[in-house]
Amino acid sequence: MINWGKVWSDFFIFLALTSNVGFIFSHDPYQLVIAVGVNLLATVLKFGAKKILSAELLATALVADLHLIPAAGLYFSGVHVPLAIGLAIGAAVANIISIIMLIVEVIFEYQKEE
Amino acid sequence: MGKSKKQKPYGNVKPKNYRAIYEEKFYDILLQLRYPLMTVIFFTTLGVLMLMILNNKSDGKSVLNYFFHTIITFSTVGYTEGYDVDPEHIDINRLFTSIFIIITIPLVYMYGLVKTVDVFLNSNIGEIYNYWRMYKAMEQLTGHYIICRFNGITKELMKNLKKRNIKFILIEPDPGLEQEIRDFGVEFYVIDEPYKRSVLLGVGIEKAKGLISAFEDNTQDISVIVTARLIMPDKNSFYVFATATTEGAAEKMKLLGANEVIVPDVAIGRRMTSFILHPPSPVLSGFLEKIAYGERTDIDIIEIKVDEHSDLVGKKLKDIKMRQETGATIVAIVRADGKMKIAPSGETEIKEGDSLIILGHPKALKRAEVFFEKHHIEEKEGEKVS
Repeated sequence: MINWGKVWSDFFIFLALTSNVGFIFSHDPYQLVIAVGVNLLATVLKFGAKKILSAELLATALVADLHLIPAAGLYFSGVHVPLAIGLAIGAAVANIISIIMLIVEVIFEYQKEE
Repeated sequence: MGKSKKQKPYGNVKPKNYRAIYEEKFYDILLQLRYPLMTVIFFTTLGVLMLMILNNKSDGKSVLNYFFHTIITFSTVGYTEGYDVDPEHIDINRLFTSIFIIITIPLVYMYGLVKTVDVFLNSNIGEIYNYWRMYKAMEQLTGHYIICRFNGITKELMKNLKKRNIKFILIEPDPGLEQEIRDFGVEFYVIDEPYKRSVLLGVGIEKAKGLISAFEDNTQDISVIVTARLIMPDKNSFYVFATATTEGAAEKMKLLGANEVIVPDVAIGRRMTSFILHPPSPVLSGFLEKIAYGERTDIDIIEIKVDEHSDLVGKKLKDIKMRQETGATIVAIVRADGKMKIAPSGETEIKEGDSLIILGHPKALKRAEVFFEKHHIEEKEGEKVS
């Protein structure tokens, strides 16, 4: 049986990474707006989850936000576009770590059920 | 991991963590914020993106204007377009904005923002914080007393303990009395059942000095005494005092682990008798009781046992010079056979097994305790050598 609540939250966490990586390669403003929005959504979804690693997951999401929001500011003001790309790459790393932790959590939960 | 497997004598029970209960409530508030905040973020992003696509503009100035426009729309501030509209695209822009407002005002403004404010207003964060702060401070207590049941007896007890600045935690099973407890000014209290091991562990019984159980019902007293003794089996390091309705029940409670049990009816009757036997005088009436009950803070009474390790055994009172050194007075000596010598003279000899009853200012009594300890330790060290 698929847990739809989990699909919903995992969907946004994966989408945060994919849209972020998309921007790094395309340097496209549309992609950047999507990346910022989705990353914020992924952060809010991690609020109040009472699981192992929930604090770490929230921390990585906040790190990604704090990379992407300044990146958007720099990109749209046009002053330091390379720096904006750099920040986006940093956010992507945070998102990758968040996904690794998601997998670790799944393994832990699977073991607990056993 | 193996270390934590050590079996406790009272079974495998975890202490109830009162602070964590209220920390969880904070997280629940955060959880409630999830969907309202998601709505706001999602529609703001959607609004900016759609305006970018519709106008085919993605320079910094336009994106900022689109963002501004989205926000003023769903917050119903309502300027005209916050951006320069290309006359060619004005229709489609207005069409999109109209649909956008229809969807987002109820969703984002009414539900998203209002709900967010509502969560903050209705979740009594202040009260949760007060409990959390109380239980956080409670975790730091050591050497405190645990008092069970809020009633006339324990009220008087708590009043006197406060006067002496002795810390205590009240456990009351009836939630209806909470307001009364707060009004009475109890610093630490827990609304819970005291005969649960997790509750007693939660109020730090392992760090406490003693427990007082004063229920109106003997069975509840007994279950509290037995539970406490299960966790703290040593009668000399952890005191349990209780009340009982009959002398038979009192005896049973003592056998089950209570240090002292008071039967209120008997205690009152005896005190009445003492009034009749010693007609009331303003100074003498209940003089010793006043000292023992802590009604006077300038004078106190203690008992010190002299055992075979003390080098005072066999000496005369006038030779040990205790009064000159400490300022406290030996008012009576209870011999090992239970005979009492009131107001002993300087010629009286201290014997093994004596209990010295000492009266004086609390500071002098502290010095007296140190005085006897000094004589005790010297002998012990001598013993080690031999």
